[in-house]
Formats: sequence, structure tokens, C-alpha cells
Amino acid sequence: MSNGGTPSLPKRDGGFEREPARRVFAAELRECRHQFREGDDEKSPTFVLLPTGERCNRVFLVGTLTEKQRQGDQNIFYRGRVVDPTGTFFVMAGSYQPEAMQQLAKIETPAFVAVVGKPNIYQPPDGAYLVSVRVESITVVDRETRDLWVLDAARATLDRLDALAAGTAPDAARIKEHYPALDPAVFRKMAYESLAQVKI
Amino acid sequence: MDFSQTVERISLKIKQKGQSVDSKKIEAKLRRLVEEFGVQPAEAERSVTNELAKEFNLTGIGTMGGGGAGTKEDRSIADIFPGEWVTIEGKVVSILSPPSPAIAQSGIIADATGAIRFVAWAKANAPKMTDGAWYRIESAVVDEFKGVANLKIHSGTAIKPIEEDRALIPSMVRIGELKPGIASVRAKVVQEWETTHERMLQSGILGDESGTVKFVIWKEAGKEKLAIGAVYTIFYVQVDEFNGRLSLNLSTASYIRDEGDIVVSGGDTEIRGTIVHIAPGSGLIKRCPVEGCNRALSRQNYCAVHEIQPKFVYDLRIKGWLDDGKKTYNMLLQRDVVESLAGMTLDAAKELAENNPLGMDEVFLRMRDAVLGRYVICRGREIDNRLLVRLCERLKMETGEHAALLNRAGGVP
Repeated sequence: MSNGGTPSLPKRDGGFEREPARRVFAAELRECRHQFREGDDEKSPTFVLLPTGERCNRVFLVGTLTEKQRQGDQNIFYRGRVVDPTGTFFVMAGSYQPEAMQQLAKIETPAFVAVVGKPNIYQPPDGAYLVSVRVESITVVDRETRDLWVLDAARATLDRLDALAAGTAPDAARIKEHYPALDPAVFRKMAYESLAQVKI
Repeated sequence: MDFSQTVERISLKIKQKGQSVDSKKIEAKLRRLVEEFGVQPAEAERSVTNELAKEFNLTGIGTMGGGGAGTKEDRSIADIFPGEWVTIEGKVVSILSPPSPAIAQSGIIADATGAIRFVAWAKANAPKMTDGAWYRIESAVVDEFKGVANLKIHSGTAIKPIEEDRALIPSMVRIGELKPGIASVRAKVVQEWETTHERMLQSGILGDESGTVKFVIWKEAGKEKLAIGAVYTIFYVQVDEFNGRLSLNLSTASYIRDEGDIVVSGGDTEIRGTIVHIAPGSGLIKRCPVEGCNRALSRQNYCAVHEIQPKFVYDLRIKGWLDDGKKTYNMLLQRDVVESLAGMTLDAAKELAENNPLGMDEVFLRMRDAVLGRYVICRGREIDNRLLVRLCERLKMETGEHAALLNRAGGVP
């Protein structure tokens, strides 16, 4: 992926600051095409640019784990599909995330799961894009947590769209450059339809 | 906001020059600047003083600008910066034990606008100053030491005692507006920590309406501990900066206990979010039984200070990260909060650990599975980017919120 960061390191006062976990629907994460890093340091975080106008180093998602699969011989890793009202998240956990891999291995499908992880964009040889989430933790949750997440993700999506429309989105310039054909109305509709699926 | 102290300070200055001003007039000017125009209180005081000085054609008070190197013109302490030669008049409010034989005397000198640390070099052969007396210090150099302005008294500096006893009202600073240097604050003792050094008398957190700050008192003759929950007026405390964080060193300060109470800010932060990480060291832990220690022990029952402690005390806690999608908070839940959130009492956790091959790990895993990824509302105090949680409940679905979001999403963009 392109590496369009500025050469200077962002100065962080007060030491380490953990990157927040963004709430994103599967249908939006799937559309990510641009990944970048701010600063040249080996440890500086990598961001995926969300089409609604925000950078994202970590995501929090809740959905139904419908499938999981063990892969690899020497380097074992697990893949899973987590479904939300808009589509499917592809999640994976390898031997570099032993705790997450054990958690994922233990879960019986189908189940509501809450996942914290880091998004990555892959481009297989055929030219298509694949966005997957490397799991940091995955736990079985109840339906109420799933419903709360749909509300939370819808609110976050609408907040991002409003900021984009008002021109206050922090990465508005990047959006214009990398997602020129974007129609924000698609994501507003997506949020509405997700909310409509929640039965109270 | 209360301007009475500032008003008194300004009218005192004017009176000293033989003029008098209606204090209501001073207050009105201050109030207008601060409340209508959002000027910082210290800046407002300066500009009102200057305005009045101009009106009465007075010199020697306020800041007249100009000056330049080697100036003989008097300056207020609040307005001097590193790299300048200055002449000031002030009261010695604290004498410190010199840290090195190269230094003859060091301490703090204050005027009505502020205070600064002074250092008299042994080579300067300057007369010793006494605590509580007023002096005129001519041609001293301001430099910077550890990011804090310092007044250097060298061989070219003239020190003249001022005989008359002038009144000095220190200007108080709010904790949220502290800068490295010397300041006076009125604050409440919010928290007391275990001391980490044998020379340390006490450390903890002080707070007022505007924020909180760490403090430390080193063991020295005549120094007393602060009482937790009490309010103190602290004069001329040294404000240090380390790693971008401020802390107050009370060794230079004098403090008196005050009446009344302060509602400390950060006393009730409420954050709705998800628990996105549970850190190692959560769950069932062992604590050092030595009175006043209470440190968490390692797996081998080792305390960093008191070594092996086989008669440890069990406790429950959760350390982790709470994330609202915009910001992530380091959070700490104590036993009662953990018990109600995870649905496991300390006794149940002990029993589980004792009867399970995984021991304390089993408690950690079950607790993780019970709380990780859940939506919660946490209330507590936010100190140094860490949320000390007093109350933590699972979030419930609210139909009103659902409807409001549907309207928002369905509305015309």
C-alpha cells in the first residue's frame, strides 16, 4: 500500500496514547482502499482510511461468528467470518496473537462475538481488495451487546458523515484524494437499514 | 468569580504611590475583562494596574515596557524571563538549604505579581538575606534551570534591604493554570499514596475546581503531613515538570489548613464505552500484608519492598482499557466494583483458584470472558489519564436512543 505520511514524527506529550477502537460497519470497512502511516518510525501506527472520513488503527465490532477455519501447517492461524447487519468482517488470529487465537479456537459457531482488532488491506494478485481484521481479543457476548453495538456503530458513522459534510473531518483532504467517487448517502442509508433491523 | 484579593492588591499598589481608587471601579474593570472578554485573571490584573498607573501618571508599578539589558527599572516578578538582567523588589518568603558549597544561599523571593527562585553564588560575596524581609535586588540575571526561571545573584548584583514592612498578598493560581516555577494554590488533598522513598514524607494528589496535580513533601525539619480530605492554602510551592506532567514540591512551601471545602474537578467523570482490553495483573491478586504497604505481590509472593510475604492478603481488581470510540482510557476497578460487574465475589474467586488446576489464571480467564467487549457506564475520578472507577454498570438498551438515531439516519442529509 502507499505510504503517504509526513516525514516528521508527531510529537506526543505525556507519553504513550492508545489508539481508540473505531466503530465501523462491515459494508464500510470493506470499501477501504487506502492505508498510510504517519511518521517514519518503525513503531508509528498504521491507519486505514475509512470512506466516511476518519483514520482508523483499531476497530471494535460485534456480530455473529458464523464460520471459523484452522489453516496452515507450521504457522497455524484461524480465520473467521463475523456477520453484522450490513455484511461480513473477515477476522484472523495467528501465532503472533496466541491469546486471541486460543479464544477464537474455543468458540463454537454460531455465536455473538465482540472483537477488538487491527484492520489491514490486502491486495491479492487478482487485483481485488480484501480488508481483514487481525484479532487482538474475541469474546462471546449476548444479543443485547450486539444491539448496543449496532446503535453505537450507527451513531459513529453518522458523526463521521456529519463531520465530512461540515468540512471538519480530520482527514477530509485524504478522502478527496483517495475516494473521489464517494457518495456519502450510501453510508447514511446503510446506518438506517442497520438500525431498522434492531428489534426492541 | 471573586476579585476581592486582586482588587486589594491593586489598590494597595496605588495607595503606596499616594493615590486612591474606588475599589468598586477596580473590580468593575477586572470583571469586564475576565467575564466579558475572557481575559486570563493574571493578565487582567496586569492591564488594570497599568491602566490606573497611566491614569495617575505613576511610575514603578505595573509593567511599563521598554527597559532593555542592564535596566535599573523595577520589574514585577511575574514579567521577567530567562536571559534578562533585572532589578526587582521583593520579600524573601523561603530559604532553602543550599544543595552545593558553590551556592551561598538559595530561596524564593516574591512580590505581589509572583515569585521566583533565587540563587546566590558563593563567589558573589552577597550579603545573606533573611526569611520574611524585603529587599531590592539590582542587576540580577534571570536564567533557566530545569525549565524554570531562576534569579542569579552574581558579583555585580547589589542587594539593598528595604526597611518598611510592606503588605504582600500572594496571587493564587488555579491548578489547571499552573506552569513550571513558583506558585501559590488553594487545594484539597484528594489522595495519599504509599511513599516510595525513605526520604519522602508524603505524596499524593491535590485538586481544586480546575484540575488535579501530584504533590510531594520531602522529609525535613518542621515539615508536617497534609490531612487527607482537608483544604490547604499553600504559599510558594515549587512547580516541577517531568515528562510533560506537573508536580508540586512542597518542600519550599508554607501551608496552612483552611476552612471550607472544594469541589474537585474530575471528581465525577462519566464515560460510556466498551472494555477493549483486560491487562495482566487483573483478577485475583495477592497483596503485601505489611501495614501501609498493600503492594501487589508477584506470583512468588514477592513484594518490591518487603520481599517474600507468605501471609499475603487476597484482593480483586481489573486493570484495562475503556474505549468510547474516540478516546481510550486506562481504567482501574477495585474489589467492590469488580465483584458487582463480573458477578464473582472475592470468596468465590479464592475458592475457584484453590480448586482449579489453573489457579489464579482461571479467575482471570473467567473475569475476562465476563467483561471484555461489554458496554459499560463508568463513573469515577480521572487522574493522570487513568480512570479510577467508583461505579461501573452494564449499559442497557434505550428505546429513545434507537428512535432518535433512526430519525437522524433517515433525515435528509
